[in-house]
Amino acid sequence: MTKDLTINVHHLTRVEGHGNIVVNVRSGAIEKCEWQVPEAPRFFEAMVRGRHYTEVARITSRICGICSVGHTLASLKATESALGIRISEQTRRLRELLKHAENFDSHVLHVYFLAAPDLLGAPSVFPLVATHGEVVARALRLKRLAHEWGSLIGGRTTHPTTAVPGGFAKLPTAKQLDELKQRLLAAVPDLAATLDTIVALAPKVPAFDRPTEYVALSADADYALYDGLVQSVLPDGRKERYPVASYRSVTNEHVVPASTAKFTRHKLDSYAVGALARFNNNYDTLHPEAKKAAARLGLKPICTNPYMNTVAQVVEIVHSAHDGLRLIDELLAEGIRDEGLAAPTKFASGAGAVEVPRGILFHEYAYDQDGMCLGGNCVIPTNQNHANIQHDFEKLVPELVAAEKGEKEVELSLEMLVRAYDPCVSCSTHYLDVTFVR
Amino acid sequence: MRYLVGFGNYTACDDSVGLRIVEYIAEHGLEQGFRALDLSTNSLNLVSYLRPDTEAILIVDSARMGMAPGEVRFFTPEQVESRKAPERLSTHEGDVLKVLELARELGYPMPPIVFMGIEPERVTSEIGLSKALVERLPAYAAAAIARLRDL
Repeated sequence: MTKDLTINVHHLTRVEGHGNIVVNVRSGAIEKCEWQVPEAPRFFEAMVRGRHYTEVARITSRICGICSVGHTLASLKATESALGIRISEQTRRLRELLKHAENFDSHVLHVYFLAAPDLLGAPSVFPLVATHGEVVARALRLKRLAHEWGSLIGGRTTHPTTAVPGGFAKLPTAKQLDELKQRLLAAVPDLAATLDTIVALAPKVPAFDRPTEYVALSADADYALYDGLVQSVLPDGRKERYPVASYRSVTNEHVVPASTAKFTRHKLDSYAVGALARFNNNYDTLHPEAKKAAARLGLKPICTNPYMNTVAQVVEIVHSAHDGLRLIDELLAEGIRDEGLAAPTKFASGAGAVEVPRGILFHEYAYDQDGMCLGGNCVIPTNQNHANIQHDFEKLVPELVAAEKGEKEVELSLEMLVRAYDPCVSCSTHYLDVTFVR
Repeated sequence: MRYLVGFGNYTACDDSVGLRIVEYIAEHGLEQGFRALDLSTNSLNLVSYLRPDTEAILIVDSARMGMAPGEVRFFTPEQVESRKAPERLSTHEGDVLKVLELARELGYPMPPIVFMGIEPERVTSEIGLSKALVERLPAYAAAAIARLRDL
């Protein structure tokens, strides 16, 4: 039996932002086992007060450098709900296509650049160029496709400019959409190769199960990345749906001592959001090619192994590519039409939700009669996962201690667990830090 | 095509200087003969512009170089070594120097690439630039455009 363990991972690598892992085991007894989030709040809700409704999405998109499309769309949906703006079918399809681009982009990044090094026993992606050059080259090809896909629809991938309240400020042409279609079709071999790579690595995904509640947007007709009701599925398979407007009754944000970020809970002490939560809630509406991918990967609903979130992201990469093709075909069949922006019909309050790569994202705003924002609320997916990560730690650490794992093995298992959730604790800084050598 | 690329976190004070320069260029109609791009924190997206038809890339970014706040230095990727740990590569903590190294190893075309590093005064959670940088924004934009044209 392992007698003592002291794990203090300060600023966990290959996750977005700052999070710490602290575990103390003395004489086999667990004294401390915590997932700590020490980031300072950034008060975006305060920044939107007094701003015109046409500016709000542009501001809140800056909450995140990866999920900026999702923040834009959740913000637009909340604003449009508050202002009674009804968007066209063309706008809905283009937004769905943009949403797919973001999820595809982020999942490629996470699967290949942040999670795969763990499964291949490398500290980062860089040593993999020598040992798995084609895998890294494929990763960059897919990342490039995603960036150019998002840029075409959104003006730019990060902090999109074309999606505005009531529609699109600039539309892609039919020719551009057809070119995107050809590029997506050309990427199918890379998707198949991605599947082969992850199937080969799947046996290295740690075996761990902890039944929990999974929350995601859900709809009868599609996989609900852009729109739907809030759905919860419990370990026994019971599902319940809630209107987006009553999201606070699901999230129940609360404060805990170990974290500056708020935690959430619903039916159980914690719940999970993200790719695995979507898969567990919405398997039936996945594209048939994505269902085939899930079968090859051995992923079935309800999967309660959080490490499989990365595998669920691979299934969603396949889904987004094929559902994206469907949307392009529908847009081309209808023809791209210049449409004016739909106008407000009231000034009140409203909520909106979309599925960003890391899970369900809520925005809510209130507006005065001049269209100026009176206040807002944003509940991001990573915050909704913090409590679940903590509860996973509380089950996993005793199992690892009982299995007599050493400090390094326990540390790696916990790091991999956190990374599997693909947390986005906050946008960190980017600046170069250099020494001149010439 | 020539590209002027800004990187940074818009909500981290002087870390955003590259994005502010791109914004300034767009607002003042200075984007002539090149494209100004805001790639925010997604340094991996630079690979989209490493193409055979790319004539030159100027990357504008805040850089800790040991200089006075607001001072500028132009340098090539070969002239510097990154002090960032490689395992920290992620979209938020992207190190564009490492992305270029990765792309070079994988055989991507490498057009002439120059960095315009601007020493930050502070990198804190704050929207806007510090006084030392904000006053020089027009000069930064002019210097960046001139250098890109010479590449």
